Amino acid sequence: MSVLLSLLTSAITIMTPLLLAATGGLFTELSGMLNIALEGLMLVGAFASIVGTYYSQSIVIGILIGIMSSMILASIMASITLYLKANVFITGLATNLFASGITVVLSFHLFNNKGVIAFDKMPPIPRLFEGLADKIPIVGHIFFGHTFFTYLSIILLIVASLLIYNTPFGFRLRAAGLYKKSLTTIGLSTKKYRFIAFLLSAVYASIAGAMLSVNLGAFVPNITSGKGWIALVVIFLGQKKPLGLLIASFIFGFSEAFSNYAQGLWDIPSEFILALPYVFTLVAIILFSIYDFNKKRVE
Amino acid sequence: MKRKIERFNPFVYMIRSLFGMFIIVMISLISLILLSYFLSATPKRTIYYFFSGPFSSLYAFGNMINDAIPLIIGGLGVSLAFRAGNMNIGGEGQVYTGALIATIVAIALEGFGEIGVVLSIFLAMAASGLLAGFSGYLKAKWNTNELITTFLVSNAMILIVNYLISGPFVDPLTNLISTRQIPEVAELTLVLPPSNLNTSLVTALAAVFIIHALMYRSKTGFELRMYGNNNKFAMYAGISHTYYQIMPMFVSGAMYGLSGAMAIFGTYHAVIKEFSVGLGWNALAVALIARYRPFAVIPAALFFAYIDSGAHSAMLYSDVTFELSSIVQATVFFLVSSVTLQRLGLGKRRV
Repeated sequence: MSVLLSLLTSAITIMTPLLLAATGGLFTELSGMLNIALEGLMLVGAFASIVGTYYSQSIVIGILIGIMSSMILASIMASITLYLKANVFITGLATNLFASGITVVLSFHLFNNKGVIAFDKMPPIPRLFEGLADKIPIVGHIFFGHTFFTYLSIILLIVASLLIYNTPFGFRLRAAGLYKKSLTTIGLSTKKYRFIAFLLSAVYASIAGAMLSVNLGAFVPNITSGKGWIALVVIFLGQKKPLGLLIASFIFGFSEAFSNYAQGLWDIPSEFILALPYVFTLVAIILFSIYDFNKKRVE
Repeated sequence: MKRKIERFNPFVYMIRSLFGMFIIVMISLISLILLSYFLSATPKRTIYYFFSGPFSSLYAFGNMINDAIPLIIGGLGVSLAFRAGNMNIGGEGQVYTGALIATIVAIALEGFGEIGVVLSIFLAMAASGLLAGFSGYLKAKWNTNELITTFLVSNAMILIVNYLISGPFVDPLTNLISTRQIPEVAELTLVLPPSNLNTSLVTALAAVFIIHALMYRSKTGFELRMYGNNNKFAMYAGISHTYYQIMPMFVSGAMYGLSGAMAIFGTYHAVIKEFSVGLGWNALAVALIARYRPFAVIPAALFFAYIDSGAHSAMLYSDVTFELSSIVQATVFFLVSSVTLQRLGLGKRRV
């Protein structure tokens, strides 16, 4: 029982950056653009946030700097994609390549170190509702006492959901994804909405990245290690709906928490454990596509 | 309305269509110069060694060409898959798997001489081909997004190969995490000593001709391109949906496997942990820059190898880090698919 509880607790920690990045990716996905740049936007966010936090000694300022940097990169990508008519898949790969290059080049330039940069004297990360965690038996520690990032991710998911389903902006955003000409015919620019979607996805992705690096108190080259891609999988698995994203990212978080746990339990090579999340996702994607295929055939 | 009809001149058209690519390359090189001034204490020295480094010695020049070989082979496979409308982004894992299979089979079949070597290359191609073909099969059968499945399979395979070379197949005699050396019979002959350039160059050039012939001079290639342009139309014309989902994926995986095998037999002689990091992505980039035309893959791969080689020499002789190359490559990558830039030299298109 206590094993399950600790698994659930760490599942929530692991799912947070995935949920954040996936929510960001939801904007671009709904606007009709495949945003594979989430990985790169996260990485730049992770780097800029921790460097910003280190120099300013304030997590909030650090995260804001991360968001700014990520948005600059996203706006470069979006302007080339939308206004110079480039392929979004390719500019996405370029963003990822650029992000992995610039973070190493800058960390070499600033700290003369291309490897892991551990920052001492970092401001502590506030944990919320720690009192509640102890008061409520059993489930208390699952839901309370996490870092503020976890609660932020839920709030931002609700914000995203309201924005997408309850505002004219969200309606137009989805229209841009469903049928491009629908916006053009009423005199609105599809490009504008897609551009905003890219910027929003950068905001979310950079907070996700900030959580990885600031939580660790260090920057590791390629700290995102495929999380942006997994976030993309979460979007597909979550059927492009906010609640779906929550469930899908939880499944992912749980499977990773379980593989971490299993590593200590049985004598399995660590590489197999690390491969498990990919295998889980692969199986999930295949099962989902079989389900989808059969459903469409019945219709 | 009268319109002046210009005679179509293929040479002028070619020059004009290359103008956009020229601008893209220029922008990326200018960004490199600006970055050097920002990052380096001795920017002129950095720029000098970046541009001239690859031509400074026979060693650097040969290595540059040698670096382009796996990119050419991998890029050809990707081109074929893309032309059929399939995306294979699992190159990283496929190169790595191919390299491992080629190495362990070559070691196991040491007693069979050349036959063993040829067999090991074919098995490497088959293994990587099956990895990619699996995604093609899923796409054909249940319409599973191949972009995601190739990526996931590849990431899982990288970890499994890492396990295999650090566990069951590790060479206990070295400090590196690597397999045993391949037998001498499998080592390719050096062409331009002291550099690493070797006879795998012949394989790469032959592959260009074969893939070109397959794509543009065969019935299969015609059907493949038709399927890629409009798969519904192709299906109405009676072209097999299943075949053109699976075959191009299999071939692209097999080419990645071949490039892994060639990198081992030609250059590395043993699978060293993570020796091929970035190779799969760069081969993909090369195919995109070449816009999926087999002959254009050669200059595109050479350009990528030149940037890498330049960054190496700038790192050796100046104060910048090697990752500068990925920024320049990313700049090219950003702009290369831009329709607006590509059509710069062609003027406004009349529709």
